[in-house]
Amino acid sequence: MRLFMSNDELKIKSSITENRKIFEDKLGLDVSFDIGYRTIIVLGKEVDFYYVNGLVDTEFVTEILKKVIEINDFEENENKVPEIVKNRLANHQFEEIQSVDDAATEIMSGLLVVLVDGKDKAFVVDVRNYPGRGPEEPDTERVVRGSRDGFTENIIENAGLTRRRVRDENLRLEIMQVGRRSKMDVSIMYIDDIADPGLIETVRSEIEKIDVDGLSMSDKTLEEFILNQAKTPFPLVRYTERPDVASAHLFEGHVLVMVDTSPSVMITPTTYFHHVQHAEEFRQVPFIGTFVRWVRFLGILASLFLLPLWLLFVLEPDRLPENLAYIGPSDEGNVPIVVQALLADLGLEFLRIAAIHTPTAVSTALGLIAAVLIGEIAIEVGLFTPEIILYVAIAAVGSYATPSYELSVANKIARMALVILTASFGVLGLVLGMTLYALILTRTYSLNTPYLWPLIPFNAKAMYNILFRVSVPIQERRPSIVHPQDDKRTGSGPDSE
Amino acid sequence: MEKESSVFKKGLFAGLVGGILFATAGSMAYFLSFSDVSHASFVFRSFFDGEWTTGWIAESISIVITGIIGVIPALIYYLLFKKLRGMMPGLIYGIALWFIVFGLLNPLFSYVPDLFSLNMDTIATTMSQFILYGVFIGYTISYEHHDQRFMRKVSQNN
Repeated sequence: MRLFMSNDELKIKSSITENRKIFEDKLGLDVSFDIGYRTIIVLGKEVDFYYVNGLVDTEFVTEILKKVIEINDFEENENKVPEIVKNRLANHQFEEIQSVDDAATEIMSGLLVVLVDGKDKAFVVDVRNYPGRGPEEPDTERVVRGSRDGFTENIIENAGLTRRRVRDENLRLEIMQVGRRSKMDVSIMYIDDIADPGLIETVRSEIEKIDVDGLSMSDKTLEEFILNQAKTPFPLVRYTERPDVASAHLFEGHVLVMVDTSPSVMITPTTYFHHVQHAEEFRQVPFIGTFVRWVRFLGILASLFLLPLWLLFVLEPDRLPENLAYIGPSDEGNVPIVVQALLADLGLEFLRIAAIHTPTAVSTALGLIAAVLIGEIAIEVGLFTPEIILYVAIAAVGSYATPSYELSVANKIARMALVILTASFGVLGLVLGMTLYALILTRTYSLNTPYLWPLIPFNAKAMYNILFRVSVPIQERRPSIVHPQDDKRTGSGPDSE
Repeated sequence: MEKESSVFKKGLFAGLVGGILFATAGSMAYFLSFSDVSHASFVFRSFFDGEWTTGWIAESISIVITGIIGVIPALIYYLLFKKLRGMMPGLIYGIALWFIVFGLLNPLFSYVPDLFSLNMDTIATTMSQFILYGVFIGYTISYEHHDQRFMRKVSQNN
C-alpha cells in the first residue's frame, strides 16, 4: 500500500543505472521469476527492456528486439539514440510516460517498457497477449439457434464482440481501473445518445468511489460495491455472457458494466422481470416465444407457491373444493408432513450444491445414489410419502426453469419461508407470507429503479411486452424505465439520421 | 415528454387493472375457501338470491365490475395523495379502504358478516388484497407523477 499511496510521484531519471536500481526495488526483479529484463547495446548506449513473461507475446517481443538490434547495422548518429529507438519500435500502440508508478503498472499489465540511457521518459509498447480461452457458448444461456459466441475473461475481446454487433460510433466504452493493488480494468458501456446521462453518472461515480485493495471476484465484488446488497436475497443485477443479449440491452438504453477477468457483463438497471426472460424466447417465433415464456412463468410460480399451497391442503383438507379433494396423501407417514417437506427440499439443495463441485466423472454416480436414496428407499422406510416427492420435485424443476440462477436460489429461500409460515399459521401464514413477498419486492430498488416495475408501479405497455414476446418490428419504443434520451426504435427519429 | 394528463389516465387505468387483478386473486382465495367473502358477496350475493350467485359466471362478471369500481379509489388517490412518495402511503390507503368497505359500508351488504364476526383468515386474506391493491395504484400514481417531474428537470438541464 505504501508504494501506491506515495504522493511525491517518482519520475524516471535520465541515467539508466539509476533507473535500473529503482525498477529492481520496485518490481522485485531478483525475486519474481516471471518478470523479464533484458539489456541491449545500441550505438554504444544501453537500452533496457522490462516485461512480464506470461503476459507478453513472445513473437512480438523478439521482433521488436530484433528491430532495435538492427539499429547498429543501419544507423550511425550516436547523439540521437532515443529518437532512433523510438522510431524503430514497430508497433501501432505506443506511448511515452514519465512516472515510475505508471511504468510499473504498465509492465504488470503485460506491456513492454523500454528505457534508453540518457532519456528521462519510458517508451511503452503494447505487446499484451493474455492467457485465455476463445469465445464459447455460455453454459447458462444456451439457445437452440443463434450465435454461439460468448464473452470471455478478456475485456478487450469482450469489447470487440460487442462492437461487432453495435457499429454505432456513439457506443462508448469508458475504462477505469479499480483496486489499489489489483488495478482491475472496469469498463462502462453505453450508447451515448440513448442512455440516460443520470444513470451513466450514477454508475460512474459509484465505481469511482470504490476504495479496496483488489476485486478478486471481479464482477461480483464490484456489484456488491455498486448496489449495497446486504439487505435482500434477490439479485439486483442481471448478468449475461451473451454478446447479443448485451447489445440488445445497449439498444434499449441500458448501461452495461464489464470487468476484466470475468465473462459476465452486468446489466443496469435491472428489475425482477429481467430475471425471468431468456434469449431463447427471442430466437423463436413471437407466438412460440410467448408460449415458452408463459410456461416459464408457470414454472416460477410453481417453484414459489405450489409446495406451501399443497402443504396447506394437507394440513386443512376441508378447505379443498370437492373436485380437488383427491389432493393430499392418504397416509401421512411417520414424520410430520412439514418436516418431510423441509427435509426433501433440503435434500434437493444438498444435491444441487454437491453437483456444482462434483467432477463430471463422479456425477453420474451422485445422481444415481440421490435418485435411489431420496426417491425410493426414503419412501420404503417410511420417511417420506410419495406425494411429497412429487411436489418437491415440481418445485425444484420450476426453480431450474427460472432463467436467472440467482433468482431461482432467492425464490427457493422464499419458498422455504412460506412453507414454515404455512405450517405455523395455516391460511393466515400463507396469505401474509405471499403479501410480504410482494411488498418486499416492491420495496426493493436497484439503482433507484423499482424492482417490480412494470407490475408495481404499473406500466401497461411494458407489462404487455413482458407477458407477450412482441415481435421486434412492433416494438417501436424503448422501455421508459431506462429513461432513454431518445425512445424511438423504429421509423423516423434521431436514430435514422 | 408526456403530459400530466397521461398520469391521470395511467392512474385510472391502473385502478381498473388493479381491481381486476386482485379481484381475481380474491376469487381464487374464495374458491379455495381462504376467505368466506369475495367481491361477489358485495356485488351480487347481498342483493340477489339464487344458486347462480355462487357460480363461476357470477364470480367472473363480478371481477369485471370490481375492476370498474376499482377506478374510483384510484381517482381519489390521484386527486388527494399523488404527491406522496413510495409505497407506504399506498399500503395505508389500502388498509383504510378495507375499513371503509368492511366497516362503514358493511350495513349495506346483507350477505357480508359484520366486522367483528369475521374470522381471522378472512380478514387476513381480504386485507392483503386491499393492501396490494392500494400499493398497486398508489405507487403507480406517485411513481408516474414524480417520474415525470424528474424528467422535466432533466430536460431543463440539457
